[in-house]
Amino acid sequence: MKTAVFRLACLVTMGIFWGFSPLKAQSSYPNFDALTTRLHQLEANYKNLTQLKSLGKTATEKEIWALTIGSGDTKNHPAIAVIGGVKGSHIFGSELALSFAEKLLATSSSDSIRQLLSTTTFYVLPRINPDATEQYFASLKYERDVNTTSTNDDNDDAFEEDGPEDLNGDHLITMIRVKDETGKWMPMPDDARVMKEADVSKGEKGMYLVFTEGRDNDGDGQLNEDGPGGVNINKNFTFKYPNFERGAGLNTASEPETRAVLDFLYEGAPNVYTVVSFGPENNLSTPVKFNRGAVSKRVISGWYEDDVAINSLVSDTYNDALSMKNAPKAPCQPGDLFQWAYFHYGRFSFSTPGWWVPEVLDENGKPMKFENDEAHFFTWADQQNMDAFVNWQKIDHPDFPDKTVEVGGIKPFMRFNPPYEMVDSLSQKNTDFLIKLASMKPEIKLANFETKEVGKNLTRITIDIHNAGTFPTASKLGERNDWMKPMVVRVKLSKNLNMVSGKVIETIDRIEGDGTVHKTWLLRGKGSYSLSVGTPNTGISTIEHTIR
Amino acid sequence: MKKLNTTLLTFLLVGLGLMLSAPTAQAQSTNGVFPAAGSPANPKVHATWNHYNNYQGITDLTKKMVKAYPNLIQRQSIGKSYEGRDMWLLTISNFKEGDADRKPAMYIDGNIHSNEIQGTEVALYTAWYLTEMFGENEFITELLNEKTFYIVPTINPDARENFFEAPNNANSPRSGMKPLDDDMDGEVNEDKYDDLNGDGSITFMRRKNPRGGFRENAKYPELMERVGPDEFGDYELLGYEGLDNDGDGRINEDGEGYYDPNRDWGWNWQPDYIQRGAHKYPFSLPENRAVKDFVMAHPNIAAAQSYHNSGGMILRGPGAKEDRDTYNRTDIRVYDALGKKGERLIPGYRYLVVYDDLYTVFGGELDWFYGNRGVFTFSNELFSSFEMFNDKDRKREDSYEFDKYLLFNDALVKWEPYNHPQYGEIEIGGTKKNYGRAHPGFLLEQVAHRNMAFTIYHAYNTPHLVIDEISEKDLGGGLKEVTAVVTNTRMIPTHASQDLKLHITRPNYISIKNATVEAGMIVNNRDMNQTTEQKYQPEKLAVNNIPGMDSVTVRWIISKGNHYTITVDSQKGGVVSKKK
Repeated sequence: MKTAVFRLACLVTMGIFWGFSPLKAQSSYPNFDALTTRLHQLEANYKNLTQLKSLGKTATEKEIWALTIGSGDTKNHPAIAVIGGVKGSHIFGSELALSFAEKLLATSSSDSIRQLLSTTTFYVLPRINPDATEQYFASLKYERDVNTTSTNDDNDDAFEEDGPEDLNGDHLITMIRVKDETGKWMPMPDDARVMKEADVSKGEKGMYLVFTEGRDNDGDGQLNEDGPGGVNINKNFTFKYPNFERGAGLNTASEPETRAVLDFLYEGAPNVYTVVSFGPENNLSTPVKFNRGAVSKRVISGWYEDDVAINSLVSDTYNDALSMKNAPKAPCQPGDLFQWAYFHYGRFSFSTPGWWVPEVLDENGKPMKFENDEAHFFTWADQQNMDAFVNWQKIDHPDFPDKTVEVGGIKPFMRFNPPYEMVDSLSQKNTDFLIKLASMKPEIKLANFETKEVGKNLTRITIDIHNAGTFPTASKLGERNDWMKPMVVRVKLSKNLNMVSGKVIETIDRIEGDGTVHKTWLLRGKGSYSLSVGTPNTGISTIEHTIR
Repeated sequence: MKKLNTTLLTFLLVGLGLMLSAPTAQAQSTNGVFPAAGSPANPKVHATWNHYNNYQGITDLTKKMVKAYPNLIQRQSIGKSYEGRDMWLLTISNFKEGDADRKPAMYIDGNIHSNEIQGTEVALYTAWYLTEMFGENEFITELLNEKTFYIVPTINPDARENFFEAPNNANSPRSGMKPLDDDMDGEVNEDKYDDLNGDGSITFMRRKNPRGGFRENAKYPELMERVGPDEFGDYELLGYEGLDNDGDGRINEDGEGYYDPNRDWGWNWQPDYIQRGAHKYPFSLPENRAVKDFVMAHPNIAAAQSYHNSGGMILRGPGAKEDRDTYNRTDIRVYDALGKKGERLIPGYRYLVVYDDLYTVFGGELDWFYGNRGVFTFSNELFSSFEMFNDKDRKREDSYEFDKYLLFNDALVKWEPYNHPQYGEIEIGGTKKNYGRAHPGFLLEQVAHRNMAFTIYHAYNTPHLVIDEISEKDLGGGLKEVTAVVTNTRMIPTHASQDLKLHITRPNYISIKNATVEAGMIVNNRDMNQTTEQKYQPEKLAVNNIPGMDSVTVRWIISKGNHYTITVDSQKGGVVSKKK
């Protein structure tokens, strides 16, 4: 008896110990509470390198967390914003952002990372639509990208009156198919688990109607047309905001989540030079293409040529780090974070889902081809022994009383979120990429500082303002944008010194990577002066000197 | 005993008060005043319309209105400005008749650009006039029975106060008061205007220069004129009064603000590098956000008006040519009818389209009201040089002549010498901040009345729904056909074409109660019996639009019910019912 109690106490103690250990391996994707715990652990374990703050709260009082990582004057070091969970159902993106912070900090005692963190700041926003993501952990699971703002998606006089229902009791929202000769859908011949639209030009005929799992709760003849929530934060940003599209909200930046991110990045983080989003868009596997027409319109919708070149370089770096090929095409979403970060925030913007269904090889080792992505996924999942399919099961459906109705289909979340066992190695690769990206940051150095006496009581000062980084100090688009601060060149003179030629304050909009701007001043008199150059996103360099 | 005494005393005093006050009021109206047509002869709230109201003035005046007419006007704060001032919104309607928030409503605001001050007075005049004339004038009485006015006299109260209190010119601050680093040198608002001569206005600086390009006008020395290309003048112009406060070699380059609150609205919004003045994102300014939240919560707003200055214009969107397709023919017809009437009511004002006749505006207020809310909206640019001599021929000298002969030199500051730390010996003088864009006092009441009349015409033309007909036909077998005709007797439809295109507001519902409905349908052509059946919930027919000056016909087949009620429930058209 005594022994048993002792053992129990031991387990509890160990549990607590493990709970706070940074080394504890996770076994599943974290819900909001677990995410919060992991962030608090980081803050507790790396007091000198981290600062956790809440940027705002969702309608259900969940914080939009931002973890600042870096040492010294973090506000004036070039920064990368790492953002996850922009698409609520893409929980892997949220995990990548969080585990990047963990992996980076775990190596922070090494010389290279300590050095990196003393000159670079990371702002990690691991989950910006937590209310949507939480559906992954709810008793009823479905791929939800919308927050909990109550919306009237079908524009009638009721809100949220017709959501999906779990008709077969498996706690998953899958599909229903209704046998009907007018239906457009049919099982795919190669893989009957996949429902596809019949192609009459190939002699195919549809035999099913297909809906998401649920009923017509409000008797308006439509199924599941106005479910719980909400607004998709990745449709709520300001670039090409899709007015009145489903899930976009009633106004751009209408949501507390969107505004928390916007306010923080615009006003709280002027030092950001690059935004990396782990989300559905992908310009890391394949860079954006230059389109002169899109750049020359007054409402710009394409990347400048110089910025495309940086994207290409970064994309090469990413592909080297990840060694995953054949990423599926990932079209941009109007109102998304990724495009906003470039076109409206003026920063370099990179996005990747971080994982996609890998190639499947046939017996001869050649990549197999599939009629559609779902078929590709099922074949891969079979190889992995994953249980990814809910078998069709007949049910009685009140809206189709005389028809054969079945529930089944692909399980939610699995196609876009890898099994948790794969997360560790994937996030290591994505972390390695981010560290490489940080090493390319703009870096202002004051080179070839010279003072020269030129006649009686006159001194000429010259300096080369050199960007020692690979990135320019501002993107080409950022150069135009007031939210991207120019470098300020400021000379402070003691009272016995006068400026004969040159400016006391001026700004430089942009210096390209490895580029240099030459400056010269002519001073009269003797005394000390200081010369400072930079802006938060390049770092600020200062020289102090005295003319004797 | 003591208690009784007090009560008795109170009773007596109150009684006396009533007796005394009643004849006094009567005496004023007969002895002192003879009514002029169309104006409140003996208003309960005394207001003067030849000056401008600061924040305290607005607060006091509106409070008096609420106290005098609690059944007609309410005041609420819809939020706080950047500096923490309450944003006053007035709701005006006959509260004894219907729910004000369900009546078709007209939204009015002024002063979004802080230097464009007189919109506030036009808005206040409108509130004052409506409340004073209710019960006196049949048209106004009926208007407030049917409609609601939501009026925000100033939606930029902070910078309005700055315009009055701090040295400014007629064009500043325009922005709100959130400080920004305009010249991007890392310092905020560090080089504002400087009132060098201490007169409260920022006028101009000039310097004598025999190689200059300007000379004084012969009649009006405050007017500086450019000389011919082959001559030298006597002066050079050095811009607005100010110093190089931060030693960067520039003068007045980082003043109050700067952003433009009228580039902050969520329709076709573009960032600052495309649209100068845009802030972080639409409604990132607290004042606009408060208005937006109020408007979103009041879908009964069917018409809107904002007041700016200057130029004598009645403007509609779109603000940018990229948005041309938003406004379609059906709606433009209504806009044109209203705008043309405005040109008639406000002589000298022209009805124009922003992007086509003026310049491009992305993220403007009127575009949001129409684009996002489907609300017919105008923006009036108050004050034009036409108003000086009622003459369409305009010359540069006009405002100087007007100042001399009608304002007796009150609007100008004579040139006076000044020793400037950067420029040396200069002269300072020119136009005071209350001249050039703001109305001179004696013109203010007239312009307020005319513009109010335009908004009243606009408000009157918001949807007015009438159930014109309910008729029955026996179909036999216990079935009866009930046909109802609903007419919108005004010009504005319940749903603008923009609304129909984007499904902004829900459809109108025409429903029947106390009848057993077997089928329901919208009648597309009554003569030819062309109908569209609504299979689900036929007792509540969804009608997408009830067009202006037009009718819709609906029909039910009922099996039971002799005494039923038909109700039209429209977000912008209000609620009407008729019993059979």
